[in-house]
Amino acid sequence: MKKKLLATVLTFAMVASVLTGCSNAKTENKNTSDSGATPTAASESKEDLSGTLTFTIWDNNLNTFIEENDMVAKFQKQYPNIDIEVEKIKDDSEYWNAMKMRASANQLPDIMFNKPFTLSRFKDYLVDLSGTEASANNELANGYAVNGKVLGIPMTAGYEYVYYWKDMFKEAGATVPKTWTEFEEVTKKLQDYYGSKDKDFMALACGLKDEWPDYPFMEFMPALESGNGQNWNTMAAQDNPFAEGTDINKAYHKIYDLFTSGVLGKDPLGLGNDQVTSLFAAKKASMIALGDWGLQNIKSGAEDVSQLGTFYLPTRNSESDPYNVIVQGDSFMGVTTHSKHQEAAIAFVEWFYSDAWYPDYINYVSSASSMTNFPKDKDPILAESDTLCPDKKLIMYDGGGDNFSAIQNETTFDYKKLGAQMLTNDFNLESTLKDLDDRWKAAREKLQIK
Amino acid sequence: MTKLNKKRKWFIAISLVVPMLLLVGFVVIPAFDLFRMSFTNWDGYSKNSDFIGISNYISMLHNKDLWLSLGNNAVYFFVHLLMIPIELMFAVLLNSRLRAAKFYKTMVFLPYIINGVAISYAFSYFFSPINGAFDSVLELLHLGNLSRDWLSDNRIVNYVLSSVSVWRFSGYHVVLFMAALQSIPKDIEEAAMVDGARAWHLFKYIQIPAIMLMVDFVLFDNIRGALQVFDIPFVMTSGGPGYASSTFTLYTIKTAFSFSNFGLASTMAMAIMIMIVAIYFTQNTIIHGLILRDRRK
Repeated sequence: MKKKLLATVLTFAMVASVLTGCSNAKTENKNTSDSGATPTAASESKEDLSGTLTFTIWDNNLNTFIEENDMVAKFQKQYPNIDIEVEKIKDDSEYWNAMKMRASANQLPDIMFNKPFTLSRFKDYLVDLSGTEASANNELANGYAVNGKVLGIPMTAGYEYVYYWKDMFKEAGATVPKTWTEFEEVTKKLQDYYGSKDKDFMALACGLKDEWPDYPFMEFMPALESGNGQNWNTMAAQDNPFAEGTDINKAYHKIYDLFTSGVLGKDPLGLGNDQVTSLFAAKKASMIALGDWGLQNIKSGAEDVSQLGTFYLPTRNSESDPYNVIVQGDSFMGVTTHSKHQEAAIAFVEWFYSDAWYPDYINYVSSASSMTNFPKDKDPILAESDTLCPDKKLIMYDGGGDNFSAIQNETTFDYKKLGAQMLTNDFNLESTLKDLDDRWKAAREKLQIK
Repeated sequence: MTKLNKKRKWFIAISLVVPMLLLVGFVVIPAFDLFRMSFTNWDGYSKNSDFIGISNYISMLHNKDLWLSLGNNAVYFFVHLLMIPIELMFAVLLNSRLRAAKFYKTMVFLPYIINGVAISYAFSYFFSPINGAFDSVLELLHLGNLSRDWLSDNRIVNYVLSSVSVWRFSGYHVVLFMAALQSIPKDIEEAAMVDGARAWHLFKYIQIPAIMLMVDFVLFDNIRGALQVFDIPFVMTSGGPGYASSTFTLYTIKTAFSFSNFGLASTMAMAIMIMIVAIYFTQNTIIHGLILRDRRK
């Protein structure tokens, strides 16, 4: 009898707690839907905002900084009723796979990051942040607006560099190149000089086993060649963008000639980015092309960086041509439409880009600041490239819009894989570009893109 | 009906219903959904998709990179197929009264229980062109001239990856064969030995026919494994250089996630299911219909 009584009491307790939970959820949802649409509704006191936010990231440096500086506790000093769950995903490739699956299951995190090339893909799932203070203070956010909506606030401004060892250059009698021809000559000179002593030497380290490390060449050089950051979008409006004389055709011929000249070492397809970065740090390679984020990895692997220098990849044909340099917004922090606490999520974005958090973070990483209210001096190693190139012309890179993405998927055009394929035995650049042109035209027809 | 009988029936019913529900929920329904998706152009994240008939099936048949990937699967299939007789011999050897047989059994089975990704990482460093252990071994043996670009030469890369796969899975097959061999009643073998049968006769006329069911299973496992191979090429080469070491599964995943074409990827997943069943039946027909036909007579 006692057991039955206990069971009955427990059952009532369970049902009551479930019903209470449901009613709370309803109230909470109602609150967020009422107020979440307007990001400027900051008049509400910070204590009124509540909920648990999922913040999904892939960046190792950001993850380390969050853990070391107890981001959640700092945030909760201002917003005591909002909890943050930081979810770290292995790398950005896995990140996009996970986000795609979650998007289809209506389970995107409250706060997610995007790259320039994923903004248009997730545009239907991102809240407009154009009314936020963070957006107003960000120098790149408006440049990446989709249909007038700021869907993400870039965390950093990304620049691309060629890292090199000055002492190795000096010993081989090489100087910092200013044109593409000079760059080719310098790489050959270094390969001949050091390669004769060490068969494993690489004048230019590029871990093509991973394919993506060729992005400074395969992804950015068409835009650098044309001086048009919207190059992919321009191509999406053409039937034969790979034909002879086009910017991408010229750029890929330059890359092909460089990659197949032996300056990448004896087997670049057999090495990944981690391996070549370590080899570069150990001076088994004289140059490596990476973003500003690469500096931390090089520093952690090198014994001494006093001889480490940088210059911008010179893709121009002559010194009279403009010295084009890529700049892009990176890691666009956005709030998703799947978030049940959109206002709290927007409050987090505002806090992240405020002086309570952002200045310390941006000084921790090697990347440049994207916020006008928190300018950051470049690391002296990275600043050297600006000294060497005072006349640079910044090209704001766009990762490609809807039309480009649709054609790219239809034609299976993978520029990073193409760079690695250039080093395979039976690769023929002319026939590959011709084939791409044919597929491009057919895809435009099929997708009815004008 | 006694209380015990009632409980037993309940237990049997639950034991059947629960796995059936799990099977239906997690295998049958997704399989039907996969079939439905193979006729759509779903990109993996949009809320809607269009019915496009058999376009995906036609597109799949015209995809030369996919055919190249399927050809790479064939390399795994044939390399493993060639290894099956050797695995069988190892099993017979380890099943006999061999000194330190337990130690050898453990050693043979060990690669199978190690995580596949860990193995792949270890071997990618083993075959690394710089400071790679395999090249160092060749140098030590004064065979440095045999050194190659093991993971980047598209003429040999699939054989290198297949050898890693063999290293990992052969032990599993050996253990399966050993389990089957141990189930053969000893008195049959002893009677044959009394009648003058030698080791070869025992193997050919008693052991092989007795473990045919297990041979069937290993052959099926070989087909399934070869067509679904993923972790080794994914970690060691990412399917590269180009698509030289890509496999059907790797290409399917790339189609879904890199090219946002879940409809086409679903078609490929359907194709792999059909291929596994078709190849299994063909293999079964050949083995049972032709090779073992005489034995049945």
